[in-house]
Amino acid sequence: MANLRIEQLNKRYGATTVLNDVNLSIEDGEFVVLVGPSGCGKSTLLRMIAGLDGASGGDIHIAGKLVNTLAPAERGIAMVFQSYALYPHMNVRKNMTFGLKFTGVPPTERERRVAEAARMLRLEELLERYPRDLSGGQRQRVAIGRAIVREPEVFLFDEPLSNLDAALRVSTRVEIANLHRLLKSTIVYVTHDQVEAMTLADRIVVMNKGRIEQVGKPLDLYYEPANLFVAGFIGSPAMNFFEAKVESIEGGRARVTGAAFRGLDVAAASLSVGDTLTVGVRPEHLVRGEAGAFAAEGIVELVERLGEASFAYLRRVDGRMFVAEVRGRQTPAPGETVTLVAASPDVHIFDASGLRVATGTR
Amino acid sequence: MPESLSPVTAQMPRAKLAGLLLFFLGPAVVIYSLFSIYPLVATMALSTYTSDPSGARSFVGLANFQTLLGDALWSKPFWNALGNNLIFFTVHMCVQNPVGIALAGLLSLPRVRLKGFYRTVMFLPTMLSVVIVGFSWNLILSPLWGVASGALKAVGLGSLFAPWLGLESSALVTLSLISVWQFVGIPMMLIYAALLNIPEELIDAARVDGLGQLRIFFHIKLPLVLPTISLVSVLTFVANFNAFDLIYSVKGALAGPNFATDILGTFFYRTFFGNQLQLGNPTMGAAVATVMFFIILLGLCLYLFLVQRRIRRYAF
Ligand SMILES: Nc1ncnc2c1ncn2[C@@H]1O[C@H](COP(=O)(O)OP(=O)(O)O)[C@@H](O)[C@H]1O
Ligand SMILES: [Mg+2]
Repeated sequence: MANLRIEQLNKRYGATTVLNDVNLSIEDGEFVVLVGPSGCGKSTLLRMIAGLDGASGGDIHIAGKLVNTLAPAERGIAMVFQSYALYPHMNVRKNMTFGLKFTGVPPTERERRVAEAARMLRLEELLERYPRDLSGGQRQRVAIGRAIVREPEVFLFDEPLSNLDAALRVSTRVEIANLHRLLKSTIVYVTHDQVEAMTLADRIVVMNKGRIEQVGKPLDLYYEPANLFVAGFIGSPAMNFFEAKVESIEGGRARVTGAAFRGLDVAAASLSVGDTLTVGVRPEHLVRGEAGAFAAEGIVELVERLGEASFAYLRRVDGRMFVAEVRGRQTPAPGETVTLVAASPDVHIFDASGLRVATGTR
Repeated sequence: MPESLSPVTAQMPRAKLAGLLLFFLGPAVVIYSLFSIYPLVATMALSTYTSDPSGARSFVGLANFQTLLGDALWSKPFWNALGNNLIFFTVHMCVQNPVGIALAGLLSLPRVRLKGFYRTVMFLPTMLSVVIVGFSWNLILSPLWGVASGALKAVGLGSLFAPWLGLESSALVTLSLISVWQFVGIPMMLIYAALLNIPEELIDAARVDGLGQLRIFFHIKLPLVLPTISLVSVLTFVANFNAFDLIYSVKGALAGPNFATDILGTFFYRTFFGNQLQLGNPTMGAAVATVMFFIILLGLCLYLFLVQRRIRRYAF
């Protein structure tokens, strides 16, 4: 178990920059999830931590030791791959002990570790089987087992659940969370699925286009997204955005207006008259009503019923769409015009560069 | 009707089914029969006849085979050719295939520059005509005007030079190595293709497990391409026991010196078509061809029953 520190890490392939000045510090025993859209550089970052790809610049420290030039096996890491990457010509036991043989772990110790990992992951019955005779979920557990027996300082997971079906994904997610509780090890976990990120992480790192957009606790990211990207990425369905302008400032309050919503008063903070803004409100924070800090009107075009809630897709005055979550059995009918309001703590204001403006609402 | 028929074909009228079978299987059956089965059967039939000087043929049963294996005049060159052929094959198995595997392994390493260039260069000789290859090597190794002796001298190894193609002791191995030089590209390409099929993540997993490239090759890559290696071995076996052209183009039908490079192909050629003082004997030639066919068949059966069954293919 160890902390992990990444400083000014860069990765370029020719002219394309895949990672751009990444700085990240991970505490001992922390479960950190890297999340971001496909192609944003999550796997690249993970592979660089593992030592599978070299850096174009920057440092990686594991347990306080600079590991830039160390081979993957010398870094004290273990990695679980998306495709599981089990050796097809070895049975489960051999898959788990294979690497230990080359790092000088004596046979009795190997057996002990395999037995322990097998017990933890319920693999005892499967030890003599070959990967081809295992289901996807079982293969996944073997892959995790192979990582556990290495007794690494840091576990690295690259989208480990994306090849599993939905039900298995949920149960394996729970298992991984349990495992972390049990092993108390440092984990860096890559996913493009924000539900996985929210449920598993102590801290989430949101990445976009090779940069870190925000690092924070799951609920902090949800309630206080640092910028438009994080606001739009975390939460499903995504946050609604409305173009707006600062109309006037009076007595420390700014009057924010836009074409598609009724005017809104926020703490002026750093705002000045004429600023272009974006107002963001999450679908789940919109309720039917008349009174609220924020109010927008729309014509219902479609209602998606999920059971515990329904999502109404509404057309705004300016022709664009926005989404509202509706609870209960009474859902609006398509064609109906409804007014939706949100309380001021749930209204996010972003400036022209996309950064969230501290309006002191929460 | 067997139960394994699909419901669609089972419900079809017999005539329609027959028409369908004829349409899809007919052309292949006709072409295969005409160009493969018929010549084979005709050759075997011919091997049971003998012809007198007037050219009239008479049925003699297995007498030709008795002569071939029993009469010292025939059996000595036959066993000589078979033995040489085994040596020819052994050299290919021990040099061509390991070198091909090694080259493929090198090409599959990460961060090798000019991969495409090396691949093409090493595959180039395979695309040359055997006649050109034979002629070139004949010139290169010639003690009179060949570059080989000069090249060895230039690096101070002149004393090692010998007229390898002319010595009874070394001619066969030299010819085998020329053939290896020409065809090493084929195992290399087949195995390289198989190596490319191994997922990147599997290699990454092995690296995380602490294996270097050499160990990755022997512990991961090699076991996973075994099916291709065994396929290459079979192809080598069949090609070697049917070989003829290189020996003929370098050494002529007499496969000198003193039949030291005679293999089954050249032996068959002399028997069937005749050469210098030896008259052509189509019926004995057919017998030699039939024996060659059975040797290859036996080799293939041994492979299928002993090797193929134990080899497992991996889906990634
Ligand atoms: N070997 C490479 N050469 C060039 N570009 C690459 C290479 N490997 C990855 N990339 C690029 O780097 C970006 C990030 O890839 P990756 O880290 O796999 O993204 P993801 O966040 O989906 O895991 C992608 O846009 C990809 O095209
Ligand atoms: Mg990825």
